[in-house]
Amino acid sequence: MALTQLNQLEQQRLVWRARQVVAPDQRRQSSFYPALDKHLQGGWPQAGLVELACGSAGIGEIRLLLPLLAQAKPRLQVWINPPAELNGQALAQHGINLSQTLLVRCQNPQHALWSAEQSLTSGCCSHLLLWGPNLTSTQAKRLQVAAKDNQVLMFWLHNQPAPSTSALPISVRLSLAPQATGLSLKIYKSQGQWPQHPCHINMHTLWPSLAAQPQPVANNIVVLPAQAQ
Amino acid sequence: MQWLYVYLPSLQLDSLLHQQAYDEACVLVHQNQVVQANTQARQLGITLGTGLAAAALLCAQLKVIAYDHKHEQRLLRQLAQRLYQTSATLYLDPPQGLLLQTSDMLKLYKGIAAYWQRLQQPLIERGLHYHYASAHSPLAAQVLARAGNDRLLNNTQEANTLLAQLPIQRVGLAAKLTQQLERLGLNTLGQAQALPRSALGQRLGQELVTYLQQLDHTKAPAKTNYQPPERFRQGLELLYDIELSSALRFPLRRLLDDLEAFLAPRKLQAGGLNLSLHYRELPAEKVHIGCSGGEYRAQVWLNLAMLHLEQLQLQAPIIAMRLSTSGQHSWEPLSNQLFEPQGGKLTADQLISRLQNKLGNHAVQQVFLRDDHRPERSFYQGLPKTHAAAPNATVCLRPSLLLTIPKALHHKPNHQWCVMSGPERIQSGWWDNVSICRDYFIARNPLGQVCWLFRTPTEEWFLHGYFA
Repeated sequence: MALTQLNQLEQQRLVWRARQVVAPDQRRQSSFYPALDKHLQGGWPQAGLVELACGSAGIGEIRLLLPLLAQAKPRLQVWINPPAELNGQALAQHGINLSQTLLVRCQNPQHALWSAEQSLTSGCCSHLLLWGPNLTSTQAKRLQVAAKDNQVLMFWLHNQPAPSTSALPISVRLSLAPQATGLSLKIYKSQGQWPQHPCHINMHTLWPSLAAQPQPVANNIVVLPAQAQ
Repeated sequence: MQWLYVYLPSLQLDSLLHQQAYDEACVLVHQNQVVQANTQARQLGITLGTGLAAAALLCAQLKVIAYDHKHEQRLLRQLAQRLYQTSATLYLDPPQGLLLQTSDMLKLYKGIAAYWQRLQQPLIERGLHYHYASAHSPLAAQVLARAGNDRLLNNTQEANTLLAQLPIQRVGLAAKLTQQLERLGLNTLGQAQALPRSALGQRLGQELVTYLQQLDHTKAPAKTNYQPPERFRQGLELLYDIELSSALRFPLRRLLDDLEAFLAPRKLQAGGLNLSLHYRELPAEKVHIGCSGGEYRAQVWLNLAMLHLEQLQLQAPIIAMRLSTSGQHSWEPLSNQLFEPQGGKLTADQLISRLQNKLGNHAVQQVFLRDDHRPERSFYQGLPKTHAAAPNATVCLRPSLLLTIPKALHHKPNHQWCVMSGPERIQSGWWDNVSICRDYFIARNPLGQVCWLFRTPTEEWFLHGYFA
């Protein structure tokens, strides 16, 4: 009885066995945030699908990826369905090569996934960012396999506060939460690694005017004229 | 000089049948008379000149197609285009003949046998019936080929002997003249040649004399030789109506193969293709297939074209297709992948065109910078160019996500907002009548989003972007 239940659980991918680890690809690419690199044991995976649950757009999710994208090899970076217009000035400022940045917009979610898969399998793309509400297990598996086979690191960003509950077969699953000093990251899954404590990303070093220093000082806050009334 | 004439007695019919592998009796009809018939039709007793009614009586399932003079001329030009790769000087002799000057080419091919073998290949590939003959003069070659001689003659003597033996009805003279000669008891061409020219001229007119002179005249005909077209343009008439857009793949493949054969030897690439699908009555359906980097391979074009055709709803059956290129440019090899560890299956340009063809041009874009201090105008989205030079970016901190239309805030940001920097005034734009005056602030809202806000002189607050 217990055994059949265990089998069922295994089929639903809810059981993870330590011996199942088939030598995960240990190659990592630095995220250029020391804290995150430490927590992910070297940085983002070399290839695969990473889920970022942002809660709401605009909390610093692109800033989290900008240093990585700016250092990438001169290959295509595809942005699919970003939530607003991409400001070329901001991207270029941080060293993104705009001539290697492709922006794809489509209303139909199926088309967005199709474009993602085409870009992954083309072999001419190094990073891919996809904004979309949710992925089914099959879709995630296809994207993960395509990304791994073609050495692409793909980020899937959405506005739910936590990663989807189903056991998606993907490399890394994180949730982001805003903080005065930067971001607080909760790592739900990182392939081939043990669970980690939440980690704090300090963005003050790279963006002094957008994030407070880790020890906030009271006079850092400017009071709006509106409040004086 | 040596000349070769290729006579294609059933050019239009052969092309139609070969394209669509049709093996029933089929005839072409012009003014109620059979003008071209395939082997199956001939076996049933249908000969050229049979009336349509008689032919229909001989075979109830006979497929009848109208003869189209213009279409046959197009086919002849297509064939000339192909043969031009083997032979330099050739002349069109519409509707069904091609004249080639061989003397210049023999050195290259080391003998007429090897040369003819090369020429024959495209004729066989296209399933054409043909007759040929070589002779010392253009007219002699023509007359011998049309008579079904099918021999490559080396010396003038041999050709003259063969010509002399030809019956007078088969030498291509006008019907009236032939009749007159027959009445005089001249049954072969040789008998007419033996008579004094001046006497012939007086009795039968100058036409015959000119003809006889032409037989010995070895110079090139008084018309310009064939020049291949600069651009690719080709059509295909379908023997069956096609109702499903996915079934267009097979005839399209044939056109694209011809396109590849046109572009590859010229080291050219097509930047785009215009495909028009013709209905019987409705105006033609036009499809533009783009490929941002340019391409010449048929397989790649077919994949791109099918992305379009799968989405296309045909309003009626298709009876013909036309394909032409829009923009041809020379082919540049891509050398950027040489030292990359993993070779990509597609280049960036190919990926872009694949996405564009499925999603439409507007869906696949790139961001370009512009020298302007107003945030909305400091960049723009356009069609991707993977090798574009960009102006320098501004040094002021700008949000990575910008709202297309600033969102009005209903009330002033209150104490829950945390202002991190500002104000930064962005003003003016008198030169293009889009003047702005805004004080920008960077502030974090209660949700933790880092927003780019601005205040207008009238104390209205707007959200313009996120430092995502």
